[in-house]
Amino acid sequence: MKEINELNLPENLKYSKDHEWVGVEGDVATIGINDYAQDQLGEVVFVEVPEVGDTFDAEDEFGTVESVKAVSELYCPIAGEVVAINEDLEDAPELVNESPYEKGWIMKIKVADASELDNLMDKAAYFEMLKG
Amino acid sequence: METTIKTTPLNQWHRSRGANMANFGGFDMPLWYDTGVKAEHLAVIQSAGIFDTSHMASVLVNGPGALPLLQYCHTRDLSPLANGRCVYGAILDEKGHVIDDAIVYRFQADQYMVCVNAGMGTAVAQHLKSQLAVIQKTDDTHGTVDIRDLSEKLGKVDIQGKNAAKILQPLLDNPKAIFEKMPYFSFKGHFDDNNPLADGVRLKDGTPILLSRSGYTGEFGFEIFIKTDAVVALWESILTAGEPFDVVACGLGARDSLRAGAVLPLSHQDVGPWKFINHPWMFALPLAPDNGSFTKPFLGDKALLDPKDTFYTLPFAGENLRKVGSGPDSQVLDKNGEVLGIVLTCATDMAIGRHDGTILSIASPDLPRGFKARGISCGFIRVDRPLEVGTPLVLREKKRKINVTVVSDVRPHRTARRKITDFLDTKI
Repeated sequence: MKEINELNLPENLKYSKDHEWVGVEGDVATIGINDYAQDQLGEVVFVEVPEVGDTFDAEDEFGTVESVKAVSELYCPIAGEVVAINEDLEDAPELVNESPYEKGWIMKIKVADASELDNLMDKAAYFEMLKG
Repeated sequence: METTIKTTPLNQWHRSRGANMANFGGFDMPLWYDTGVKAEHLAVIQSAGIFDTSHMASVLVNGPGALPLLQYCHTRDLSPLANGRCVYGAILDEKGHVIDDAIVYRFQADQYMVCVNAGMGTAVAQHLKSQLAVIQKTDDTHGTVDIRDLSEKLGKVDIQGKNAAKILQPLLDNPKAIFEKMPYFSFKGHFDDNNPLADGVRLKDGTPILLSRSGYTGEFGFEIFIKTDAVVALWESILTAGEPFDVVACGLGARDSLRAGAVLPLSHQDVGPWKFINHPWMFALPLAPDNGSFTKPFLGDKALLDPKDTFYTLPFAGENLRKVGSGPDSQVLDKNGEVLGIVLTCATDMAIGRHDGTILSIASPDLPRGFKARGISCGFIRVDRPLEVGTPLVLREKKRKINVTVVSDVRPHRTARRKITDFLDTKI
């Protein structure tokens, strides 16, 4: 298990209290689980992703991540419509562990309300939350 | 009050290897290493894995009154048990509830060892002592018994998988004689140098061990009981000797998924404070051929035969690797949505998959072309009625549901019961 100081938390992403990350480009947000979440879950063996076209409100459950140890729900950090899902996760769910911010992304959504991004944490605030 | 977490002699080893650690039964134990729980699980099926099981407890029960005491306190009929053999069963209270499950080892007619779960040595030793006192009150002919709790005074390492004997062979003094005639649930040697049996199995450096052909994975292998100050050296020498076989250190995560696929219970989770009857381990009860009575009297027997407050524990297998959490928050529903009970264990055996509806293992012979073991969830449910094998059920944890079927077995082609000669290097 990683120490909090060892976590990889990129500066350019936003973080939710449920340990998802959000990367924004234009009006599209890419969402995945962060290094802390993947480390806590252990080896991911299955990712249940939504379908393109599904819409979610902020904090809606949009899928699940199963590790050998546990099943964990995924909560949508901001509202939007799914425009892409990471199909590679079906055959290689371990990408969530190996590359949580690159190859292990889970879905991309068209952001419904950009002001909701302000409700998310930056790296420093998320780090403080983890330290409790 | 602060309780200190206990450690095994291998704690530093686990931590220095970056193991993901957790409290299990009051001990700081590895859940998995960097290898990952899936690779650890698969290594045991394909070659061999080693497990630190020094958190388990052993109680020595010696003296002329040892056998009658254990006959009364353990569910197996121990009268036919030969020297050098061991059996699995349970220690019950008067309600027929499980205090702990336990393997009884017979050294001699008046010398036994009872191997129980983490943190249970003191409780089981105390239970045996109080039952002895009760017996002695009414029967002044009952022989004396010396009960010694070896908790934290004895180390244990399990090596499991088809290459276990080949890996141990170069570490043992006279391996050919040791592996000769060593059936499932037999053992040789002793961990105490002062015991005459200690000469039965020694490591090359002279360290005596108790080598037991048993385990908790359903696969061929051994449990090794050894004095605590020799555990780390044994562990490291197994890893070195096992290098050509890609032996892997395994944590409790792989131990749990392997045992679930092998339909073995976890004490205090699959067997516990409810009646020890109507479950997949009926061989652990001394059932008479009529199935309605027992061949010996024992503590809890009358409660077990009373049909009141009885549950049914059944193994299940899912459709794929998806699982629900274990525990009372996960319910068992029938096809009409009626709640029948709770999920005791739900784990995923990553070495198996379905092909045309049949479960196959990566170790199954003649695997069909294109077969891929994606994993299947499995475990135990506890319900309020008997259910036939093949009954479809739904397991529900909050909003999550998975479809499962009642089964009689899960991972096929396990190796635990095969002849030892199938797994020996013919050159020794």
